[in-house]
Amino acid sequence: MSLSDLLSTPFVQHAFYAVSAVALAAGAVGYFVVLRHQAFAAHAIGHVGFAGAAGAVLIGLSPIVGLLVFCLGAGLLIGIGGASLDENDAVVGVTLTAALGLGVLFISLYSGYANATYSILFGQILGVTWDDVGLVAALSLGVLLVVSLSYRPLLFASVDAQSAAARGLSIRAMSLLFMALLAITTVVAIQIVGVLLVFSLLVAPAAAAEVFTSRPLRATGLAMAIALGSAWAGLFFGVWIGGPVSFWITALAASSYLGARLFDRNRVRHVRRALA
Amino acid sequence: MRDGGVVLGGRTIWRNATFAVEPGTMTAVLGPNASGKSTLLNLILGLVPLSEGSLRVFGEAPHRGNRRVGYMAQSRAADTTSTMTGRDYVGLGFDGPRFGWGRDKGKREVIRRALALTGTTSFCDQPLHSLSGGQRQRIALAHATVFSPELLLLDEPLAALDLAAQAEIVDLINLIRDTTGAAVVVVAHDLNPLASIVNQVLWIARRQVRSGSVDEVVNESVLSELYGHPIEIIVTPRGRRVIVGLEEEFAHPHPHPHPQGLTHAEEAHEHLREVYEEETS
Repeated sequence: MSLSDLLSTPFVQHAFYAVSAVALAAGAVGYFVVLRHQAFAAHAIGHVGFAGAAGAVLIGLSPIVGLLVFCLGAGLLIGIGGASLDENDAVVGVTLTAALGLGVLFISLYSGYANATYSILFGQILGVTWDDVGLVAALSLGVLLVVSLSYRPLLFASVDAQSAAARGLSIRAMSLLFMALLAITTVVAIQIVGVLLVFSLLVAPAAAAEVFTSRPLRATGLAMAIALGSAWAGLFFGVWIGGPVSFWITALAASSYLGARLFDRNRVRHVRRALA
Repeated sequence: MRDGGVVLGGRTIWRNATFAVEPGTMTAVLGPNASGKSTLLNLILGLVPLSEGSLRVFGEAPHRGNRRVGYMAQSRAADTTSTMTGRDYVGLGFDGPRFGWGRDKGKREVIRRALALTGTTSFCDQPLHSLSGGQRQRIALAHATVFSPELLLLDEPLAALDLAAQAEIVDLINLIRDTTGAAVVVVAHDLNPLASIVNQVLWIARRQVRSGSVDEVVNESVLSELYGHPIEIIVTPRGRRVIVGLEEEFAHPHPHPHPQGLTHAEEAHEHLREVYEEETS
């Protein structure tokens, strides 16, 4: 089977649409994750999703239902409990461990679980069905729509909560909104790269983008572009060379961040030399 | 405000506060840490409810999001880590609270004016984290004055600045007051840098608030009564006031180590010497 044949098979086509939608949403939400220093929350929500997916499979539901319920629940809990960002670490940590414990319990109760566990942990993009694509795309586009409509208030509340509150924004409401967006994005990203690698799409592209530009809109757009590029290239390499797609996406996203940092160090050195 | 008082979480912050802030004047809010200075600003902003008495802001009950009130928060988390540019941060002062896609046509001009007034045009396109403390405060002032507020509330605008930068910011605050005619309320922990431009002082301590001109409030009898023990005020040749008797709360507002074993008098002497050295250098 030639490469072009492979690329035109339905499962690769499904994967292509799914990764595209997810990467765009993850890049945009990821910008706010980095801005708000809430990478730990993003990490925790992914792990909480693991318990949700395990629980859903245990009672005979689709993993994505459990993911949605648990991730949204955890997101709202973190949003309420840690609205003032200072308390956030403890709230996130407790939520994270409690959920992981539940996940372990659910797995032990369900014997035939090994395969499903693997796909939740590491993603199984080439296994998504046409129905999955529809759901993932709808959720991703919904996230993008809400982010674009609430872009300025989210930004304001993220960088200067005090002033934003004085200007009439509810910090708690913005925190909850952000957590809900993060939860939904995590759920769709888990479909592609799995619980353990969710970071690759959520944090790495945004962190890389922040190195290149100081303008929020540009940084958000660049984060989306890097996420999309990593996802497309990852899918292509996975089909062409082989190996898990989630590995390729993670490797590419991480390299983009590494590259950005190296570029930044060079730039700093140039500036220093110019000044000296 | 008339007979105003605040209770937060069952604890009385202060009561019996009566004062008025007139357009074009400068009011300094002074007092020890955690005495409720920022709470006063939060009341005016409508973020905290008044528990007793009455407070009118431009004749209305205080409410959040009032564009006639400009506010500069004390510590902005964004400052030291943000890669956002000053211009973007000032822009948030304009339409930060607004949802939706629309972009206001007047934005560019309003931002340009705020940047020009605060002298920030030359560095407003650099990321905030790369600016000096004084430059960041200027950007923050531009953010707070985007709508040319009639009442400007500044929470510790001089904190963590060296003396030269403090003087610069005081000049800028004065310039903003003169050009916009705004009433300015400044929370500070030291009167001296502001003394030359202050019309009214609100001194908050031990759950009470004293208001009046600098001389009416910052004198030995009022402060001694307010603190419940004798307070002495020494005026330096340049008119700066050294307040003796509340060193714990006041003379060392920054948490740096106290020289152990010094008596209050010795400590005050130390402080006095520092001020003199500064003035004669």
